Amino acid sequence: MVGITVITREGESVALSGETGLSVMEVIRDGGIDELLALCGGCCSCATCHVHVAPEFSDRLPAMSQDEDDLLDSSSHRSALSRLSCQLIVDESLEGLTVTIAAED
Amino acid sequence: MATMPEEISPAIARHRASQPSHVPDDRVFDIDMYALDGIEEGYHEAWKRVQRPGVPEMIWTPFTGGHWIATTGDTVREIYHDPARFSSEIIFLPKEAGEKYQMVPTRMDPPEHTPYRKSLDKGLNPAQMRNVEAKVRSLAAELIEAFATKGECEFSADYANVFPVKVFMALADLPMEDVPVLSRYARMMTRPEGNTPEEMGANLDAGNKGFDAYVEPIIRARRGKGGDDLISIMVNSEINGAAIDHDKAIGLISLLLLAGLDTVVNFLSFMMIHLARNPDLVAELRSDPLKLMRSAEEMFRRFPVVSEARMVAKDQEFKGVTLKRGDMILLPTALHGLDESENADPWRINLERRGISHSTFGGGPHRCAGMHLARMEVIVTLEEWLKRIPEFSIKDGEKPIYHSGIVAAVDNVPLVWKASV
Repeated sequence: MVGITVITREGESVALSGETGLSVMEVIRDGGIDELLALCGGCCSCATCHVHVAPEFSDRLPAMSQDEDDLLDSSSHRSALSRLSCQLIVDESLEGLTVTIAAED
Repeated sequence: MATMPEEISPAIARHRASQPSHVPDDRVFDIDMYALDGIEEGYHEAWKRVQRPGVPEMIWTPFTGGHWIATTGDTVREIYHDPARFSSEIIFLPKEAGEKYQMVPTRMDPPEHTPYRKSLDKGLNPAQMRNVEAKVRSLAAELIEAFATKGECEFSADYANVFPVKVFMALADLPMEDVPVLSRYARMMTRPEGNTPEEMGANLDAGNKGFDAYVEPIIRARRGKGGDDLISIMVNSEINGAAIDHDKAIGLISLLLLAGLDTVVNFLSFMMIHLARNPDLVAELRSDPLKLMRSAEEMFRRFPVVSEARMVAKDQEFKGVTLKRGDMILLPTALHGLDESENADPWRINLERRGISHSTFGGGPHRCAGMHLARMEVIVTLEEWLKRIPEFSIKDGEKPIYHSGIVAAVDNVPLVWKASV
């Protein structure tokens, strides 16, 4: 299990642990944080699992696909740290990752 | 859209293409995409007959001009995602009809395709869709309220054929009275009539020209006027730093009409037939608003409606067969979402399903630009419907009528419920 910290839109910090192989989106959803709508369930087609990742982890994450990049472009809250959490797969290298749920568009 | 029974082409006398020398005998199967065997039982059921143990991943049929068919989810996905090997130069079958298809940018490959796609996204991205959600919701509510107290409706005619079209015409700022003629053009393109590839090509060509002639004066009127409707946003967008060519704008706006008038229309009827037969699933959707919103993707997986094609870009070996440049491959998206090796227990709508796998919106550079609109229309329909009609079923003794083609269709969907007076 890998420890991940999620900062909600209200600023609350929630410690979750996720199984290797799940996506960060699934860990947040299974952790009961419903404000992350994650409508498409991980098909990379809806942009409703948008998070900002802690800067020290951004270079440890997998490269962004064209689909993810295009979807993030439609958010008015995109930053250099923006990712779709369904595209981040949990493994040991993400131990201690902090993600902040992006403001609702 | 309603397809009248007398318009259905007879299955007999369908033209058969001769088998090219590079197609081995054991890959030849008689499959007519416009008249699938077993279509009476359902469109997805009919396609699924093709995907059975022992059938290779790539098969060839002499119907519809002669073409390959990808028969597994993995094969459909791989072809969609590799435009260098599988080109969009021609995407509709028969090939004779696909050559007449002049819409933009569906027949372009990257990098030519990219700037046109960006102008489509500008009008259809999730942020735009959030801006129009309230309007879409009020259109749904108004339609449902018109029949909710009657205790019955003909779902395809009273809702599915109307709602996405009303939404689309409102977003594009076009008058509702133009819908019948546009729906007829859409049908000519997605289920063209004729028994030979040439006849079907002529029918598709007439539909395409109908769209072009319709949009031409509209584009002239809206160029440079700064309107905020979908058409204005797109015709006033730039392609590689210059104003979009008039001819390209015609193709782009015609595509928008075709895609907006024939896809969600049919998807909604397939979904509601299933819900009418599965009251437990409807109860599950009613029990949890978030679950309802997240159900849309599983619905998309379960009820794909599109079967378009790709053209082989160069001679190659693929999945055990030799493909020649110019060969056409049909990609039935039904065979991805319903493939057991992609989704366990695929016939079941499982609202807890993880790793949903489908190509219902295609894939790769041409993935459906309208998918955010489609998802919103499905969620809004479920929400507004179940609020007013929590339980419903198919009228006793009635059977929906299914049609196959580039876009599948269904009509005669009579629903009944207890009307609260």
